[in-house]
Order: sequence, then C-alpha cells, then structure tokens
Amino acid sequence: MFANFGIDLFVTAATFGNLIGYNYFLRIAPGSNLITAMVAAFQSGRDIWREKYIKDLASYLLTLPVPRRTFAVSRITGGVARSLIATFPGTLVISYLYGILLSPRLIEAFLVVGLFSLGIVGLSMAVSAFASSIEVFATLRSAIQLYLSFLSTIFYDVTLFPELVQPIVHTNPMTWAIQAFRAIGNQGSTLYPISILVGPSLAFALLGAICYLWYARL
Amino acid sequence: MSFSTTQVKDSNSLPGGDSTSRLVLQMARRDISTLFRTPWIIISRSLAFIVQLFVFAYLISGFVVKFPNYFEYYAVGSVVGTIASISFIIGYDIFEEAEEGLLDYLLTLPISRRQFIIGRALGGAVRAMIYTIPMFVIVALMEKFSNPLSLSFAIFDLFLLAFGVTGLSITMAVSVRSANRFDVTLALLELAVSRASTALYPLAFMPSYVAAFAPYSPVTFAADSMRDVLEGTSLNFLSIAGLLAFVTIFVGVGATFYFRRLEGGVYA
Repeated sequence: MFANFGIDLFVTAATFGNLIGYNYFLRIAPGSNLITAMVAAFQSGRDIWREKYIKDLASYLLTLPVPRRTFAVSRITGGVARSLIATFPGTLVISYLYGILLSPRLIEAFLVVGLFSLGIVGLSMAVSAFASSIEVFATLRSAIQLYLSFLSTIFYDVTLFPELVQPIVHTNPMTWAIQAFRAIGNQGSTLYPISILVGPSLAFALLGAICYLWYARL
Repeated sequence: MSFSTTQVKDSNSLPGGDSTSRLVLQMARRDISTLFRTPWIIISRSLAFIVQLFVFAYLISGFVVKFPNYFEYYAVGSVVGTIASISFIIGYDIFEEAEEGLLDYLLTLPISRRQFIIGRALGGAVRAMIYTIPMFVIVALMEKFSNPLSLSFAIFDLFLLAFGVTGLSITMAVSVRSANRFDVTLALLELAVSRASTALYPLAFMPSYVAAFAPYSPVTFAADSMRDVLEGTSLNFLSIAGLLAFVTIFVGVGATFYFRRLEGGVYA
C-alpha cells in the first residue's frame, strides 16, 4: 500500500507538480494518501465477498458466538483500523509536507483519514453483499473509485465542473476529506469540512452494516 | 444433436491431424469469448476511459501551460495505458481458475501445454485489443488521424504491448500464491508500468528518479512509437524493437513459469 501511495505521490503528483507548479503538487498530495485509504478500505469488502463465494467461510464465521450486529460493527471497525494502518506512513509523509508532523494537528490528519475510511468500508461492504460475481464487484468498485477520485476536488476546484455536476462533487466524501487536509495545511479550521464529512461517512457505514446484516441472514 | 456431432468430429481429428495453430486459436477463442460473457468489465473500463479523458484530462489540461496540446498528448497515452491495464486481467482469470479448481479440468483437454499457454496469452491480448479499439477510434476521430498506414502501425504497437503485458501478467499469476499478495502485486505492477512511462506525461517533466527508468517501460515504447507514427514523424524502430524484446521475454518467461507450475502440481 505504501508503494502504491509512493507511486501516486512521487511519480504522478510530482510530475504534475513539474508540469503545473510546486503548489499544485502540495495541493494534490493528500489525494494520494486518501486514494490509498480508499483502496485499503475496499479490501474489506473484497474479503467479505471472498469469504462467501470463494472460501465458503461465511457460514462458519456466522456460527461464532458473536451477535450479528456486533459482528457487523466489528467488520467495519476492523476495516477502518486496517485502512489507518495501511495509510499510516502516507499520513506521516503528507503531515511532513504540510509541516504538522510534530504538531498536535497530526491527530486531525488521522481523524480525517479514519472518517473517510469509515464511509468507504461501509460502501465496500454494501457492494460485497449484493455482488454475486467478482466482475460485478470489480465494476462497482471501479465506478465508486472513479466517482471518488475524479468527481471530487482532488485535482481541480468545484467551480471548474459544469453546474449540473457540482452537486455530485459537493456530496463526495473525498471532496470534504481533501478540503479538511488543505485546511490543516493552511493552518485553518477543519471543523467545517470534518462536520460535513461525518454525514456521508456515517451514512455509508450504516448502509454497509445493514447490507452485511441482510447478507448474514444466509 | 448437432452439438454431439461436432464433438465427435473434433475428438476424431485431435490426436492425429489438428494443426498447432488451430489448437492455439481454440484456446485463444475461449479467453476471447469470456469477454462477451462479462459485459461488466467492458462497462467499467469504458467508463474509466471516458471519465479520465473527458473529465480529468479536459479539466487538467487547462492548468498545463508549460506543455502545449496536453489534452491531445494525454488522449493517445490514455489508450496505451488502458490497453496495458486491460491486458493484466488475464492474470486474475488464471489465478481464479486455479483457486476454483477449473484449471485441473483445462489440463485434461487434449492440447499440449505449450499450445495451451500461447493460446491463453494470445487470447488475453486479442481480448484487450477488442476492448480498446473503440477507445482508439474515439481518439483517432478527435485528433483527426486518418492515414491508414499510420493507424495500422499504431494498432500493431498496441497489440505488441498487449501481448507482452499478458505474458507478464501470466508470469505473476503463476509466481504468487497468496490471493491478497497477488492482488496487491499485480495492482502495483500495473501502476508502476503505466505511471512510470510517457503515456500520460512527457519525460522532460518527470522527476529525475522516474525519468531514469521511464524510457525502458514497455508502455513508453508503445506510447512513443504510437505518437511518432500517428503524428507522421517517422517509424520509431527503437521503441518497436523494445516492444518486441518485451514480448519475447515475458511471453517466454510466462510460458516457462506456467509450464513448471502446472507440471510441478502446485495447483493440485
């Protein structure tokens, strides 16, 4: 995962930085880390899908002496923890670039990554509950990743999008996660972007939990 | 009834008379036919191409002032990047077949291992071409590439890249045993091969540590060769030679690894 982040940041973002300017490199740098978080979070859904369709482990797991709701919540928590661990070095690198590595604001950076991952883990679990084949899972994953990456403010301002598309960009959790990181970098308050990010993240996590409970009915 | 007649005819002809090329083509046809059984993949890759080109490249080219006509540059490169990405899919197919036990059945078919492997590599490459040609047509229309000879050479470049990447993907599928490790390795390899290349940005703007390796990426060979031939500059013999070497090495290595794994019973 760190290698993935490294390629995104030190190859793609650095090259666009040279093409456009160093400020642009700093502007898109947190996107590399959030894209890594997104990929790591989606692995949770893929694991659940594989447990059911490939490894035939789902029925065994559901015989464990754990209530279904607790089990669903633990899957989400595990996914978020995994994503935080996978992006740990990346978050440190971005914090270094933004000059907050040794500041208490580092906690805010991890909070943003955790909140963002929460929503994506929920989405990936919802997808895994309904995708009957790996192709469907991969297609939905790809579509969601396209939406998160390209219809967000990672690379460009929301004002550059056609008016019709702007509401889609505004409701994208990636937009608010990246805005929160930029606020950290500008020494501004993250309260506003984080308070908006909480909405879709909790909604997606709830959706994931509900879908997982539905799927766990067997 | 007619189905069973065909079966008998096929089995009668296999032991003695079937030519190598026919068996290879039969294996390739099997992989190509999976393309039409999995329209979801076509949808997702086409969507990715459209969003990358008409949203990302269109918007970002407005910022790029140091390199004129960046959108046009990106458009050709995005086709090359897409075909490289799609050619990696064959590795996932082979890994899944091994996990699901389908490979055992395939190995009982009356076809030699070598024909089986070359057929799979060819099938993966042709499948990638079928995916990518519509995207290439869109770019050719947008950029008004109309010289039939140039277009043919560009398609040849794409095919060579697809064939080589298919071999690379097969090599990875038979070398890595853990599913998670395989997913991560292939995704990483795909990212490295595509991003550290001149497909999406010019060599002059890459950081020095990337610019040192990028000229040797197969995606760079294909992208440079395609741009040269489509823009009417010349045939880029060096890039074509690089692509041919890449194909020879990775289809050869892939075949050897695959053959050893199959015969070693690792998939059993």
